[in-house]
Amino acid sequence: MTVAELKDKLELKPLNEVYDKEVDGVFISDMVSDVMAGAKPGALWVTTQSHKNVVAAANLVDICAVIVTRGKPVPDETIDMATRAELTILSTDLETYDLVGKLHAAGV
Amino acid sequence: MAKEGCKHSWRMTNVRYGFIVVEKCYHCKTERSYFAAEHTPPKEEYREGEHFWDYMGSAQSVQFGLKCDRCGREVPFADVLGLLTCSGCTPDCDAHVMSRICEDQRIWVYVALCYQPDIVSKDEMGDRLAILSQYFNERIRTPGKKILIVPGWLVKDIDICKGTVLKDVGMFEVEPEEVAS
Repeated sequence: MTVAELKDKLELKPLNEVYDKEVDGVFISDMVSDVMAGAKPGALWVTTQSHKNVVAAANLVDICAVIVTRGKPVPDETIDMATRAELTILSTDLETYDLVGKLHAAGV
Repeated sequence: MAKEGCKHSWRMTNVRYGFIVVEKCYHCKTERSYFAAEHTPPKEEYREGEHFWDYMGSAQSVQFGLKCDRCGREVPFADVLGLLTCSGCTPDCDAHVMSRICEDQRIWVYVALCYQPDIVSKDEMGDRLAILSQYFNERIRTPGKKILIVPGWLVKDIDICKGTVLKDVGMFEVEPEEVAS
């Protein structure tokens, strides 16, 4: 499943361009150190964090897209950096637990 | 065990979660930082020789090494405090110049900051950072994208650098402006 297909299926709100990438797994964490040490390339990163550190960490390990949950506002600085890195940032009002349930049901 | 001519395949090893702790001696004003692999950062004031160390702050971080799956060679990175991304605060800073040039070619530059940069030779650090770059690049799936880890001495003045260090403190303190409804 691609990021675009997932966005449509789960009605996620894109905050920047949706880049054509395949989703390969999910990584759930609010710590960049976790992502640097544990996330796999191509994974979807689910987090409540919206600081631009998220983009730096995601870019380092080649995350396919980031979903910010709980409707947390994402600063323009983060979105701009994500766009430069060709990283899609998606937003949802869902709690992380509920989103992950939907991801699992969607077969991700 | 390490073999000459090995086409290395690196994986992360000796992963330890802990804290980067920053302390300052209230006697001579020297500052230092180190990695503490503990559940909570050590905050007590203590004396060590002529120094009286005060806790200044800490950040959650991770320490790791790399090991080649083919020849067993291990490369430690215990002296690397963290990775920093350039924010473009100083136009004539080498790290900034390199970041801008590389970004145009879809090469993303991260600066490796070290605890005690003066005790490691530049050649040795350069070799290890090339290996670290290789580790991340081996995992990149996005076509045409590359990661480049460069040494901290490219930063013109680390004391005034406004680059973003990849760490887990301050993220909870950065609150974006509320979006008007």
